Amino acid sequence: MSGALGVVALLALLALGVPIGVAMGLVGLVGMTLLLGPEPALIKSSVVFFETLTRFELGVLPLFLLMAHLCFAAGASRDFFSAAASMVGHRRGGMALATIAGCAGFGAVSGSSLATAATMGQIGLPEMRRRGYSTAFAAGSVAAGGTLGSLTPPSGALIVFGIIAEQSIGRLFTAAIVPVITQALLYMLAIVVLCRIRPGIAPPSQRVSWRERGAAIVRVLDLAALVALVLVGIAVGWFTPTEAASIGATLALVLCALRKRLTWDSFCEALALTLKTSGMLYVVIIGALIFAAFMSFTGLAEQIASLVHGMNSGPVTTIVIIALLLLLLGSVLDGLALMLLTAPILLPITTALGISPIWFGIFFVRTMEIGFVHPPVGINLYVMHSIAPDIPIGRVFKGVLPFLAADFLHLALLIAVPGMALALPRWLE
Amino acid sequence: MDPVSSPQRQPRGLLFYAGSAGLLCMMLVEAAAVIGRHVGIPVMGALEIVQAAIVPAACAGMLIATLRGAHAAVHMLTARLPATARRWTGRAGALLAGLFFAALCSGAAWLGVEYWNTYEQSEVLHISFRPLRVLVALTAAALAAAFIKAAFRPGKSA
Repeated sequence: MSGALGVVALLALLALGVPIGVAMGLVGLVGMTLLLGPEPALIKSSVVFFETLTRFELGVLPLFLLMAHLCFAAGASRDFFSAAASMVGHRRGGMALATIAGCAGFGAVSGSSLATAATMGQIGLPEMRRRGYSTAFAAGSVAAGGTLGSLTPPSGALIVFGIIAEQSIGRLFTAAIVPVITQALLYMLAIVVLCRIRPGIAPPSQRVSWRERGAAIVRVLDLAALVALVLVGIAVGWFTPTEAASIGATLALVLCALRKRLTWDSFCEALALTLKTSGMLYVVIIGALIFAAFMSFTGLAEQIASLVHGMNSGPVTTIVIIALLLLLLGSVLDGLALMLLTAPILLPITTALGISPIWFGIFFVRTMEIGFVHPPVGINLYVMHSIAPDIPIGRVFKGVLPFLAADFLHLALLIAVPGMALALPRWLE
Repeated sequence: MDPVSSPQRQPRGLLFYAGSAGLLCMMLVEAAAVIGRHVGIPVMGALEIVQAAIVPAACAGMLIATLRGAHAAVHMLTARLPATARRWTGRAGALLAGLFFAALCSGAAWLGVEYWNTYEQSEVLHISFRPLRVLVALTAAALAAAFIKAAFRPGKSA
């Protein structure tokens, strides 16, 4: 009962616009005060506060953010897009394919859906419009492609999930690789099918010479090598995620200098943005951990788990129900709030059913991603609308529908074939 | 996480320099430790230095995010409210945040006092936890003050 009241109170605070971390921490603190008394509640919350700020593993967050900002300063977004555009841009729907590939590449350095959609939208959207693409199709492909940023390692969402769920961030990153590749391939398939059905939405354009293609590919080799080093290093155990993040940030700084893009201003800007974002995330994580402590005292997760167990519904049915719940909540809550609110409750339920927490993390972020492009919140769609205000939001929604269908197909595949996420980490071990 | 690109130049001050120092210290020490391990020259206690360097970076980051009003929040409902109601919900939210951090400040100070004479320190480099505890308590106090100030700032929502 107290757990359910806590969730209701949290939703009310979130609806009133209270910062997510503060709302979670406050509900956790007040809830523990009511359950355990003021002294244990205050001590528990303060211990969480201090331990979170001194936690070595959390260093991964600001360091990967710094790597992202430095890669951005080095021109990663434009170079990834240019390389993909030079290879396939001349084909029917080729610029949309290039946008998806660019999003996957840039997602690997940004680790964020919003950042990927906003950045690639500023590059890919005008280019597609210039070449006569349908505005709905162009905006839809960038908005959908942006979601790749959430799952592509080193993903911020996976880092936060790993911390909240106390799972290996390295294993989560490795487990995300195949789902990200299949997700990108399904988006590309959606583009090819759409262009076959309605060729007018994405006309072909002039082919660039092999010399220009070669030059565009060479320009991204250093960035691709950096991403590959970080991911392979974590996957094969050369370094821990925190070490990989520090190596990634250091090399990104070197790349920035080698590309002659490192100025005092760009360096300070990268640091300032990293501090601001990581500060925001620290408040969220502290609040979420206090809320999770409260939830563990209420026994809400165990009660729901026994309810689910009593229904004899089996893991697949439970996961489908959870997916529907997350999609429903994802249409009114943003991704971070959704994860922090539900992960502490849902994780014990799925663990009790014998579902791997690593698989659940991938499934969770994948489901959360869909919330970025489905109405009424669909934050990526509004990002597209803000980049190109002359494209009505209704057309952006319409444009994303085929990609949404690909998303649901991909989610169904992930549920039906858990090995998509689990095979690679198991094989590497 | 945030959009990577920001059209506005971020302001720089003491918090920026303190946080950046912590961030760069983490980055360089950890990178040196990895390289050292692979070439056979281990950097002893790198983990402990990183652990200590995170604190100023995280504390400065939280304060910068608060002073810039950059905390993540759900605006779906409040964005549809009239301006006055939006201002008042903003004030109420800031006040609640102030009270939350004031509570954490008192808890952090309490724990700091409890542990003061236990001489908490790291194992290899013997880095004392005392300054870290002081910094954490001061940060909570500064966060509480910043939120409460925002709640009572005339004519502005928090």
